[in-house]
Amino acid sequence: MAETVTITIDGQQFQVPKGINLVDAAKMSGTDIPVFCYHPKMDPVGMCRMCLVELGSVVTNRETGEPDVDDNGDPVVRWFPKLQTACTQTVSEGMVVRGATQRVRDARDDILEFILTSHPLDCPICDKGGECPLQNLTMAYGPGESRFVFDDKIRLDKHVPLGDLIYLDRERCIQCARCTRFCDEVVGDDVLAFHERGRRLQIVTISDPPFDTKFSGNTTDICPVGALTTADFRFGARPWELDEVPSICPHCPVGCNISASTRLDRDFGGKKVIKRIMPRQNEHVNEIWICDKGRFGHHHARAEERLTTPLLRRGDEWVAVDWDTAYSEIAGRLKKAGDNVAFLAGNNLSNEDLWELRKLAHRTSNTPRLGVWPAFMTGADAVAQAGVGTGTRLQDMGPDSAILVIASDFEEEAPVWWLQVKQAADRGAKVVVANGRPTKLDRYATEVVHYEYGDAVAVLNSFAARARSKNKIDADFTARVDGAAELEAELKGTRVPFADAAETLLDAEDLVIFAGGEGLTLDQHRELMQAAANLLLLTGHAGKPNNGLVPVWPGANLQGAFDLGFSAETTAALADQPPTVWFIGSADPAAEDAALVQSLANAEFVVVSTQFMTPTAAHANVILPAQSFAEREGTFTNGMRRVQRFYTAQGPVGDTLPEWRIYANIGARLGGDKPRISAALVMRDITQNVPRYAAMAYPALAAVEKQFPDVGGDDLYYGGTAYTNTGGLGIQWPANAEDESARLQVRPVQLDGYQIEGLFAVPVRVLYDRSTLFEQSEMMHTHVPEPFAEINNQDAAHIGIVDGEVIRLNVNGAQHLLTARVNGQAPAGVVLVPQLLSKTPIVIGPAACAIEKIGE
Amino acid sequence: MLAEKYADRIEKIFSKYPDKRSGIMDLLYLAQEEYGWLSEDTLREVAALCDVDPTQAHSIAGFYTMFSEKPKGTYWLQVCTDLPCALRGADQFYQELCAYLDVDDGGTTSDGLFTVEQVMCLAACDKAPMLQCNFHYYENLDMDIIKGLIEQWRAQAQQEAAE
Ligand code: SF4
Ligand code: SF4
Ligand code: FES
Ligand code: FES
Repeated sequence: MAETVTITIDGQQFQVPKGINLVDAAKMSGTDIPVFCYHPKMDPVGMCRMCLVELGSVVTNRETGEPDVDDNGDPVVRWFPKLQTACTQTVSEGMVVRGATQRVRDARDDILEFILTSHPLDCPICDKGGECPLQNLTMAYGPGESRFVFDDKIRLDKHVPLGDLIYLDRERCIQCARCTRFCDEVVGDDVLAFHERGRRLQIVTISDPPFDTKFSGNTTDICPVGALTTADFRFGARPWELDEVPSICPHCPVGCNISASTRLDRDFGGKKVIKRIMPRQNEHVNEIWICDKGRFGHHHARAEERLTTPLLRRGDEWVAVDWDTAYSEIAGRLKKAGDNVAFLAGNNLSNEDLWELRKLAHRTSNTPRLGVWPAFMTGADAVAQAGVGTGTRLQDMGPDSAILVIASDFEEEAPVWWLQVKQAADRGAKVVVANGRPTKLDRYATEVVHYEYGDAVAVLNSFAARARSKNKIDADFTARVDGAAELEAELKGTRVPFADAAETLLDAEDLVIFAGGEGLTLDQHRELMQAAANLLLLTGHAGKPNNGLVPVWPGANLQGAFDLGFSAETTAALADQPPTVWFIGSADPAAEDAALVQSLANAEFVVVSTQFMTPTAAHANVILPAQSFAEREGTFTNGMRRVQRFYTAQGPVGDTLPEWRIYANIGARLGGDKPRISAALVMRDITQNVPRYAAMAYPALAAVEKQFPDVGGDDLYYGGTAYTNTGGLGIQWPANAEDESARLQVRPVQLDGYQIEGLFAVPVRVLYDRSTLFEQSEMMHTHVPEPFAEINNQDAAHIGIVDGEVIRLNVNGAQHLLTARVNGQAPAGVVLVPQLLSKTPIVIGPAACAIEKIGE
Repeated sequence: MLAEKYADRIEKIFSKYPDKRSGIMDLLYLAQEEYGWLSEDTLREVAALCDVDPTQAHSIAGFYTMFSEKPKGTYWLQVCTDLPCALRGADQFYQELCAYLDVDDGGTTSDGLFTVEQVMCLAACDKAPMLQCNFHYYENLDMDIIKGLIEQWRAQAQQEAAE
């Protein structure tokens, strides 16, 4: 433990870390100091005065520097004449606190009475009722009756939309400023503020768009009253009716721990259904935050469009059949097809699904083709070697750390990591953002590198060259690295175009690299990941916490797919050698890749397991209705290689089954084992067959430990309504670099850029899109833009188009009508094309393109 | 537009501070001087100049009583009714003033000449009842004195209108 100090609270002595906040120290020692405005994840402001305590410090003799002692030899304590706000105190040696005295009680009673003077009696209809800090503290403090005159009550607006996701009830607000500070300090979008003062103080926004950060829902968790509510859950249920089920967000590689609040619902045939998604604390992953996609992106689980029975194509018709019929049909086909089948795994299949899919594939062939979708990123071997050390916590990174984010629009692709990196920058960490264009993280960057798309690998490689020329190679570490000498020789003489950025990274004690896939071909991406591993391994920034490589995979479980033997290279090869039979597990390539649409159309037989009738499913001969993350158990492996469990949250929909079971049932018809009876047993098989997953048995994944800050529980006023983690913190598999006896490998990378004459299109990812699952959350539709293309000002002027105009994009031999965005963000010569804003594939990798003005 | 009309003044304001955001108070004053009050559009204009979110400009304008987010009469009478002044009869004085001008709390007379408003301590507690009119102090008031002042202001306004 770091340095500690001894403090006394109500006569009891405690050892607590030096320099921490008194409220936190008290909490760690098992004493609760009531708070409204203080929050352990934000700076204190001392606004509500609820945390008053008697405070004393030891008197130090100025000459000797020793504490003065009284006749009994006890140190003399000097008490502050007035009560002090505990939340604005930092603990110091010998600090003495009294929180249980009558004087403190009286003061807190008064503050509470004061806060309640104008508070409405809304509890019976308030969303927060039942888990409300103000309710709880009113039970603990304050007089039973108010002395204030009811006629003096201030009446304010009760349904103020702060944007279309969050509503404000001005009467309920107790002016703690948690929401404004969250927006300002934590997120950096200061779109909420106070207006007026005194009793007229109100939360306002006149920003445009109003309250539209990607993290707005979190304010409803930390608001200590029911003043802020979400459009999703408002008046939807009462907290005490809800059954909290630990789960994992299925939308991105961060793998936020969430809690699905469920109840038996009339509108869902009396079955258990998710009423809202709340964050679940995991200080290694999402701390206590989640993004709005995770919070509001759960509606697919009970969407009316869910497929409920297996479907067989008969001519142009779909015929509903029973599982047996579907299985027989598929098994017969697979038997015949042998090596001509290709398997494609989507990015949110669970590890159990992937395992059974792989087993099924091995029944059809000894060398089955196992592809992933999407397939624009690769480099799982680089991750296996130099992935971030186990125990990495972004919240521990500060002035001694550096973080490189390369080839990613980070906030769009991994929101909560973005938030944590932004906060690390606030704490003094050096952040370098490298991409072909400006992104929002640039605001917080120490160094910004804007390279030409195609040069990403060269830029990263040049950082390694700088390490060599500046003697930053870690010789002790490279003794374990094969190929280090050759690589160093190769790096000699490499030009370093962004030397400041390179040095910013190389000077830090800890270094984490987040690598995305924007603007790279698959071949380049493999090299990018290798270049990252090269840099990390040469400089010894691997094999320990807060050091190493993190891929920004698209989706929740591509890491798991790679771990279980699926690959992007296989998918790429399928374009050249299309199979005659496709077996697709919850992927929708037809919405993204025109070439694959063709291949699906030409195939003899297509099997798709899916929750929805996607463009890919439309090509199927057999559709197998799959269960969502909400209806079953499973595990996802996040981008930091943490395997995490999610639990069954709602009742099944129709005849749907978990995909692992579907695949196992088909396998059984091909002579395989009888299907396992539970996901836990499938995982047991995995632990026995996949060495990296040996430790991932369900009971181990469910293990929890005490986390700081201590949120949830009875004292919601402290951390808010993020839920205590009862479902497990998950386990990270260690990268090779962490095993001191393991040999590691580096190699020179290929630097081939791409040369495209004229305009070229670069696909980019946006958080709010029309991907299969997220599309079902109708409340988010206003946040999903119409398909657009972003063009540089000069290019636009040259072609003669203006912002907002509909243009024709010619790319890969097809034409698309898109809205032009001309806002100075796209580099010259580049057309940025967001993925999945519609179900029509446009472009999946960098490609030459042309833009035409339409109409005159 | 402030940026064009007062380019020099704005530059001078910004030169006083380490960052643009710190110049917001000065710019809000400038804007109020120019437009008479701070409309939402004006707040956006100032926010853009200072590189802050408009909500922050709104918040600052709302906090300080010397900024006004509503159009005001020619004479803006801010009466302190805070506790010390109230003890010297400021409350009563304010009510009588409203009645005399025939306006509600915070209202403006129908001829657009006078706006009355209650404010917090103006640091002249010992000379209560007091008010400030267009940022000038008038102290130790009673109804007779204020009636006289109001007549003066009316006459002044008429004269200005005639010119
Ligand atoms: S809305 Fe909630 S979080 Fe924001 S100031 Fe009011 S009580 Fe605090
Ligand atoms: S950051 Fe990613 S994992 Fe976390 S809630 Fe958002 S989409 Fe889900
Ligand atoms: S003043 Fe300390 S918690 Fe609000
Ligand atoms: S209380 Fe009125 S001026 Fe101070």
